[in-house]
Amino acid sequence: MLKFTVRRGLLALLILVLAVTLLFAMIHMMPGDPASVILGPKASPELKAELNQRMGLDKPLLVQLGSFYADLARGDLGLDVFSDREVSEIVFEQLPYTIVLVLAAIGGATLLGIPLGCFSAIKRNSLLDRVTAVMSVAFIAIPSFVVALYLLLWLAVKWRWFPAMGAGASGDIVDQARHLVLPAIALGLGWVGYIARLVRATMLEVMEENHIRTARAFGLPERTIIVHYALRIAILPTVTILGLGIGTMLSGALFAEIVFSRPGIGKLLHEAVVTRNYPVVMGSVLVTTTFFVLSTLISDIINAALDPRLRESGKSS
Amino acid sequence: MVTKEGSNLFQITRRGFLQQSTLAGLTIAGSLPSVSWAVRGHQLHIRNYFDISSLDPPFSLSGGDSFIQRAIFQNLLQFKTDGTWHTELDAAEYFEAIDDTHYAFRLKRGQMFSNGFGEMTADDVKFSFERIADPDLNAINAIDMGTLSHVEVHDRYSGTIVLTSAYAAFVPIAVAGYGILSRKALASVGGRFSTQPPCCSGPYLFREWQAKRKTVLERNPLWEGPEAAFAEIHIYAMTDAKAAEMAFEAGQLDCAEISVESVEPFQKNLPPDSFLEIYPSGRNYWLGMNQSNPALEDLRIRQAIQYAIDAESVVEATWFGLAEPSMGPVPRGMLGCRERTLIPAKGDADKARSLLKEAGVDLPLRLRLDVNSDALEMTAVQVIQWSLKKVGIEVDIHTQDSGTFLSLGQEAAGDQWQDIQLFFQSFLGAADPYYSLVWFISEQMGLWNWERFSNEEFDRLNGLAQAASDEAERSRMYQRMQDIMEESGCYRFISNGVMPQIIRNTIKPAFTPDGYGLLRGFRPVTQQS
Repeated sequence: MLKFTVRRGLLALLILVLAVTLLFAMIHMMPGDPASVILGPKASPELKAELNQRMGLDKPLLVQLGSFYADLARGDLGLDVFSDREVSEIVFEQLPYTIVLVLAAIGGATLLGIPLGCFSAIKRNSLLDRVTAVMSVAFIAIPSFVVALYLLLWLAVKWRWFPAMGAGASGDIVDQARHLVLPAIALGLGWVGYIARLVRATMLEVMEENHIRTARAFGLPERTIIVHYALRIAILPTVTILGLGIGTMLSGALFAEIVFSRPGIGKLLHEAVVTRNYPVVMGSVLVTTTFFVLSTLISDIINAALDPRLRESGKSS
Repeated sequence: MVTKEGSNLFQITRRGFLQQSTLAGLTIAGSLPSVSWAVRGHQLHIRNYFDISSLDPPFSLSGGDSFIQRAIFQNLLQFKTDGTWHTELDAAEYFEAIDDTHYAFRLKRGQMFSNGFGEMTADDVKFSFERIADPDLNAINAIDMGTLSHVEVHDRYSGTIVLTSAYAAFVPIAVAGYGILSRKALASVGGRFSTQPPCCSGPYLFREWQAKRKTVLERNPLWEGPEAAFAEIHIYAMTDAKAAEMAFEAGQLDCAEISVESVEPFQKNLPPDSFLEIYPSGRNYWLGMNQSNPALEDLRIRQAIQYAIDAESVVEATWFGLAEPSMGPVPRGMLGCRERTLIPAKGDADKARSLLKEAGVDLPLRLRLDVNSDALEMTAVQVIQWSLKKVGIEVDIHTQDSGTFLSLGQEAAGDQWQDIQLFFQSFLGAADPYYSLVWFISEQMGLWNWERFSNEEFDRLNGLAQAASDEAERSRMYQRMQDIMEESGCYRFISNGVMPQIIRNTIKPAFTPDGYGLLRGFRPVTQQS
């Protein structure tokens, strides 16, 4: 297991370096002059030159990339030329909001989706199964921003059960949780349907396998068979998907952060791209890519822990 | 196949799950105080378009910064809250122009900086003004100090601001635009700050800033003027107008700028206890034409485009009849605004056709039109496209993100300035007409003058108007400058737009004539009545 983890960890590191390098090149090849965007019409050519120099844009792209990695090795993500604040400070100030939102959304979707999928598989072709099927497809099909708008209109504007904007008062966990409910539902609802359909399909497949039949023949209780033998295998694709889902949600969080006026890394990244604030763009990209790679790595490790065959297959690859 | 045992297991769990989740939902909903956000004591909750970039006057970049600066810092003069560009005394008890280059001032006594930095003195005024203009600081806002030479300090409270040459915009742009900071306070933070002011002197104190969330101000107990109307002001950074509208409807905001297209729905179904105000905007929207581009070198072609565009229809479709066609870059209500335009707002399609014929253009003429990816501006260019099509000009619209768009005409950003033909541009002015027109002088060619417009008379008048002290004469010069712009065929002025605001009727708001909030002037209605 340790060897598997180390192998996967090194692969994750390689993916991270490649992804960040590629993103660095893409971002810097975008048209647009950061000095004009950031400083506006008042900027003299001297000021623009100074800003470009401070951002390192006067150097060749490869030199900029080298400087970025050299600074990164020292734990330095650079300085935001807008506010003169450390990029790491800016990024890590926003990151927790997005992580909490994503975890709440994916956590809620998992807690609802897995039982729904299980029930549907066990009660195949029952009314519950059909209702779950219709609802799952509906959840997947409705765009998240539409969900967000209706949640806002009904639960915040009309009934005023939940707040419409912000992330809650600092230090007040209950208030922060209330501010989290609507964006987490908007972001996670589609995933409820997706996970439920996935778990149902894999459960149906697993329940037909020989080892389940054997377990039944041995007279094991159905609860034990489902939880310990069927679900344990049926959940593997879901764990993989959840790893990817967290990454997808990181980018999807942007709409929730805008619609619900929440702080977060998505909004930070969007504003930084629009203003060509390269240091903040790179800092945000690095952190989100790391988070994505880590979540995929963790899902791989969980999969390997649940299914020893994966560890073995890893050796030969 | 499901066994009875399995079925029981999941039936129990399902019920339990459903019961518990329903109970949990009801508990959460029930525990919510069917939120009465409208009742917040002496607090004002207001939207700000931008988050803070820097509150340090030399480095502040956006209207979002000055929105807060005006509440926490004192200027020598401030804008009145009566919706005009007139100024009144703020930190100064006396302010007078001695001549074109000398302004005498005397501060009110006993005006204290927060955080123990003592009383405001003339030396602080000297420090604040000279610091912004200091070439070593290389500050973005140094340009606003114009021809400032230095500030002479006569005694603890009085002094004279000295300019090297006459600069008529000095009072509205510099004196009423920039706050006075304590020399000692700035020294205590190493001479510069961004989002945490070391001292305040206005009716409100800066309490906290939460990045991408909000800024909180609180009443300044040291303030010697009339007591600040609110104990706290919460300013939310919200770039999305729709989110702000929802937050207002949910009762979380007391005042918010809303999108133009939301005005009509709100007029029909106004949230309880609220009202709408439509403020003119100081933004200038126009269609620019790059006269260096071979397709637009012929003046008659540019004039044909001017005449072909039905600005009235553009304004009607874009601003839903809330705005008026523009008189030029200088907006209505400001010195230098014209009473008429040379090209009628409705345009003249017949004249456009005859100009094209005279120029010997083979129709259809195909042109490229670049526009920022802003919903409002994209609507405007579609109507322009329709107007031009009627006279045989086919326009390909190229939508660009703002970062790309803003560099299109900049020579430093590459050669694409040569390829741009038509572009829909908008620019926010300030409290003086100088600020609306200076971007079109010959020196700005390749910077912000993307039309490559160059006119000797225009440049000369720009210099003269900056130095003129007679308002009527200055106004005439700015009017003539706008005529010259129109005569060049490089510009089709469209509108100055509007800034619609939705406001709780427990609040009496105060705005500048271009629709920006003056927090000092906001009052609860009870206090005002």
